[in-house]
Amino acid sequence: MQTTKSIARTFTLIVSVCTVLIFSVAIGSFYHRSRVALEQEVANNAAHLVLASINRVETTLHAIGKVAEDTSRSLEIAGYHDQSLTTLLKETLRDNRDIHGFGAAFDPNPAFNPPHPVVPYYFRQGERLVFAPEDNFQHLSQDWYQIPKELGQMAWSEPSFDKASGTILMTSCSVPIFSDNGREKQVRGVVVADVSLEWLTELVASIRVLDTGYSFLLSRNGTFLTHPDRDLIMNETIFSLAESRHKPDLREIGRKMVLGESGFVAYTNIHDVSTLMYYAPVPSTGWTLAVVFPEAELYADVRNLTLVVAGIALAGILLLTAAVYWVARRVTAPLGALAEATEAIASGHFDTELPAVKSSDEVGKLTLAFTAMTGALKKYIRNLTETTAAKERIQSELKMATDIQASLLPQLFPAFPDRPEFDIHAAMDPAKEVGGDFYDFFFIDPTNLCFLMADVADKGVPAALYMMVAKILLKTEGQRLGEPEQILSRVNEILAADNDSCMFTTVFCAILNTENGEVRFANAGHNAPVLISGGQAEFLSIRAGFVLGPIAETVYTAERITLEPGDVLFLYTDGITEAKSRSEELYGEERLLQTLQTASRQELAEMIRTVRAEVFRHADGAPQSDDVTMLAIKYRGMAARNP
Amino acid sequence: MDIQIAKEEKAHILTLSGKLDGVTAPAYEQRVMALLEAVPCSLIIDFASLDYISSAGLRALLATAKRIKLKGAQFHCANVTGTVREIFDISGFSSILRMHDSVAGALAAIG
Repeated sequence: MQTTKSIARTFTLIVSVCTVLIFSVAIGSFYHRSRVALEQEVANNAAHLVLASINRVETTLHAIGKVAEDTSRSLEIAGYHDQSLTTLLKETLRDNRDIHGFGAAFDPNPAFNPPHPVVPYYFRQGERLVFAPEDNFQHLSQDWYQIPKELGQMAWSEPSFDKASGTILMTSCSVPIFSDNGREKQVRGVVVADVSLEWLTELVASIRVLDTGYSFLLSRNGTFLTHPDRDLIMNETIFSLAESRHKPDLREIGRKMVLGESGFVAYTNIHDVSTLMYYAPVPSTGWTLAVVFPEAELYADVRNLTLVVAGIALAGILLLTAAVYWVARRVTAPLGALAEATEAIASGHFDTELPAVKSSDEVGKLTLAFTAMTGALKKYIRNLTETTAAKERIQSELKMATDIQASLLPQLFPAFPDRPEFDIHAAMDPAKEVGGDFYDFFFIDPTNLCFLMADVADKGVPAALYMMVAKILLKTEGQRLGEPEQILSRVNEILAADNDSCMFTTVFCAILNTENGEVRFANAGHNAPVLISGGQAEFLSIRAGFVLGPIAETVYTAERITLEPGDVLFLYTDGITEAKSRSEELYGEERLLQTLQTASRQELAEMIRTVRAEVFRHADGAPQSDDVTMLAIKYRGMAARNP
Repeated sequence: MDIQIAKEEKAHILTLSGKLDGVTAPAYEQRVMALLEAVPCSLIIDFASLDYISSAGLRALLATAKRIKLKGAQFHCANVTGTVREIFDISGFSSILRMHDSVAGALAAIG
């Protein structure tokens, strides 16, 4: 189940991480683009708003300037006496409600024919128009009179609080009145229209962007004319503010404002809040109108919207994660069940039920494949069990065959207790399988003892079968023919018939005459026996002769030696000389001779045990690859018979 | 055991190396029988690099020699020395099979 969990978890984790990444990039991009778009939008809006407001201000100011100008032109063209002048002024003031006070100021020089009073002036007080003339000539030194007179054109004065209450911000529009006497144009006086800037303060205050955004108006030289912070009005200039608050960028902005430029700037305001500002000049007066809005508020909506989107995305991701996990679990659950079942199968419970196949997807296919595999495994194991049983049966049969083979060989020693003139002893240690070695000895007649040693080619059942045939043939033909070369020739003929597989056996066949110790022998490709005589062991020099079986017409030759009493003839198979040690070293003929020489004085049974022990000691646990078979015969002589 | 087969004009030369025993003899026999089935030809076995031959190996040699004889071709042995020679001598194979001191000698004998 660990695997199931891990697949589902990994899958879910990957999907979630990818989704989070995608959403993060999307939302981040959305936020950034929204900010840019919004900034653009706000800049446009602010510009529109400011320009529209400026337009309104400009229209009003222009209208006022027009009134003053018209009045001035009237005074130039028509000759007014004192009464009609004041009436003109009064009527004009009455008709223009934007104007707070309206009047004219004349040069007292008699050359210009000044009226009386020299400064006729009306101002509003509620609905009434109050006549407040001045005759003290103070106006001659004041800006509102001096500037238009000197410039010869309309001029707006720097705003200032009114003299009466000191709370109403006023500005004056002054238009020079020219007198043309034919020679030169001279300024005879000035028409002045005092304008309350209350309406302007209200207008500017009404220009709001967002909730905490505000606007302010600066005069030509940077003085605050309107500002939400009333303490600044007429008390501070933008430069004094920049200086006192150490805001160099504000001073730079102020410089541009005074130069009559317009622009959209981002700066940190005096309260250290990131702020955006749009400013533009009011052309006729040289004032600057600016709209300020804090960035935080500007982007608040974007931020809120982004947060909402992020929230929705987060919820979506959580939902998606849950869904993915659920699906992954659903997909991998059958795998888990299958894994459990296969674990059981792996531990040998082949009858474990696999989960039912519910779908034709990969898991379904896998389950079907497992079902098929389990079936195949069961079948295979059944077959294996049967094969093993059959093999065991064959093994046990082979064991029986080995036993039968061994039982065929004379194993009872002493074999001829009533024949003291000779002694004979033999032993065979078969290799694991049934082998092809055999020995035999039997009397042909009371004086002739036939003894032989044979080795059938190869091992296993074919060799064993061949050995049986060869052994029986050798005994029956031996007893019938009585001469070694005849026995071998005859048996060879019989074996060679129908011997396509070329099975063969080597045989050393000998006959001992017990009365005189003469041994007649013939060899069919077998190892030369060892003659132990007088404590010396040496190989008997014999003719080789061809092996028994393959070729029908093989001729064998009889040879003979005479054993002296005490002499021993030792017959063996190559299972002895070719016995291998752990390091693959052969036991060899030299070791055999030495061992036999050492054991030359021993009784035959002892001698055979010695050789056998030496061979096994040499092997030192290395597996025995061939039968170890030996036969020893000792001639004691007839003297032993009649002590 | 390794078997190399070289084709000469008059015979195939089989070079045996390693051991020819009960384990490897069936492979040898199968190889030679297949060769004879395809091209009935004389055969020269080069024993120069064969280290050991068991009775099962001798049997396999005899079986192939017999088959070649049946096909009317010749079976020759070359470079039978050392342990293998001893086994050949003891079992009388030296007197039954045609033995040569070299492959060239065997080829000359076939010609």
